Amino acid sequence: MRRNALYSTLALAVLLLAVIPIGVAVFLLGFIYGDSPCVMCWEQRIGMALVALIGLFVLRYGPKPKYIGLAVLVAAWGVFMGIRHTGMHAARDVGQGFSAEILGAHTYTWALFIYWVCVATMGVLLLMTKKEDIEDEPRTLTPLESLAGVVFLVVIAGNIVQAFASTGPPPFMGQGDPVRFSFAPSHWVWSLDEWSPAPISLRGRWAIDKPSLEAVPVDPVSGPIARVPVIPVKQQFTIGFPIAGTPTDLAYDPATAQFLVTTQRGIYLADETLAKMNRYTVVDVGFSVDLGRFGGGAFLDKGAVLAVGENKSYVLLRPNDKADAGANFRYFLESFDKFDEMSRSRFGTVRARMMYVMSAAYDPATNSIYTVTVPNNKVKRLVLSRFDRRDMTLSEEFSLTVGAASGLELSGERTLDEFVVTGATIADGRMYAISAAYNTLLTIDLATHTVIAAHAIPGLARPTGIAVKGDDLYIVGENGVIWVVGRE
Amino acid sequence: MEFLNLVVIFATAYLVLRKPEKERTAFRLLVFSVLLMVFLFSMATRTGLLPGVNY
Repeated sequence: MRRNALYSTLALAVLLLAVIPIGVAVFLLGFIYGDSPCVMCWEQRIGMALVALIGLFVLRYGPKPKYIGLAVLVAAWGVFMGIRHTGMHAARDVGQGFSAEILGAHTYTWALFIYWVCVATMGVLLLMTKKEDIEDEPRTLTPLESLAGVVFLVVIAGNIVQAFASTGPPPFMGQGDPVRFSFAPSHWVWSLDEWSPAPISLRGRWAIDKPSLEAVPVDPVSGPIARVPVIPVKQQFTIGFPIAGTPTDLAYDPATAQFLVTTQRGIYLADETLAKMNRYTVVDVGFSVDLGRFGGGAFLDKGAVLAVGENKSYVLLRPNDKADAGANFRYFLESFDKFDEMSRSRFGTVRARMMYVMSAAYDPATNSIYTVTVPNNKVKRLVLSRFDRRDMTLSEEFSLTVGAASGLELSGERTLDEFVVTGATIADGRMYAISAAYNTLLTIDLATHTVIAAHAIPGLARPTGIAVKGDDLYIVGENGVIWVVGRE
Repeated sequence: MEFLNLVVIFATAYLVLRKPEKERTAFRLLVFSVLLMVFLFSMATRTGLLPGVNY
């Protein structure tokens, strides 16, 4: 009795798997509504057919370990296929996706669910299985089991017809963007595109290197802007206090007459000569929002201090002489009683999504925070992103062009995207952006999204930050040196 | 290639249902189908083998 229940349950599972996902897909969605699977959908559908086929093996030959093991492997691979396919579209806006939608979810999402149900069902069947269930001889199928087999054959026959029309005989293969299904041969498209040479990668377009200044070219003469005028360094000195790590950005707050220096994890407030440190802390960048390495820093309203990671995650601190050191243990690694953490979150972007940043700037006129992208091994675009301070949400994004009245000219086919902006500061509606590539200072009109001036600064060595103080620009280098140039 | 794989699956099911004494042949065809499916999916996703999401 128990054994009959086991095989009847399995026969029903095979029937359900054959009829609902695979049968409906081919006879209803395919033949009636013209849906045509893409190459990944085909493999997911075939994987379901294989799980059902292994079910037929078990019905005929009993639950031998090799059948159970193979079924688990195929279903596990199916779950992976479902995640791989769903992942392509998971981050899109609501309602967007690929091809047909069923009950509010696209077909590939259902594949993930169905494979998960397969794995769970196998677990239940295994719980019902005992050693004596393993057969030595092929079983005689009951009418229900035979029905499951016949239905399976009919469903596979339908799929064979659809596969011949949609993908063709070997070596033709399924397509990434298939054509609507038709029984008319004149509408059939057979493709060999998937056999074309293509690079093999694990993470694909997400395999983006972390930013580095190791190999950036520094000579302004070889930069993308032709004949960049030189701006002289008025003063040069070294930061007068010890810091952990290397400087990653610089900012100045005229209200408190303090400089902000960020390092990979450190936040330092210093006097207006950068000779004396007023307070500092080292942020614990893990165990919560992953801040990575700080690439930029800025003073915000009411003395708040912002540090932005290269991955556009940020932490917002407020200086407090009476900060609770015990409560702050979770936020900081050193100097627990000098700041309070106000928030820790992430800036989300669109155009800048696949790029890191090494700068942050605050514009009090618009109450906005800006970041500037740096090019990487996959994406090379100079994108400015503006975030509203009130909700820290993306409010504007744009690329730059060379201003017509600037007198600047790009060399040949060169573009502004070659610059590696490592520091930015804003004054009077203009952003001053320092590029470690070609040691060039760009002056950007934030209203017209244009570069209105560019200057080469001789002697810079890996600049990483910039701050405006009065009529001067203070540029900090990786080695802690400060270069002061006049603001034009 | 999907057409080929489905034909093999059909043939395998036919053996299981109508010629159960051909278990060894049927199992070999089954393994072939599984490997072909894995190969074809990997071919289609070789430019990004892992799920294309933020890592």
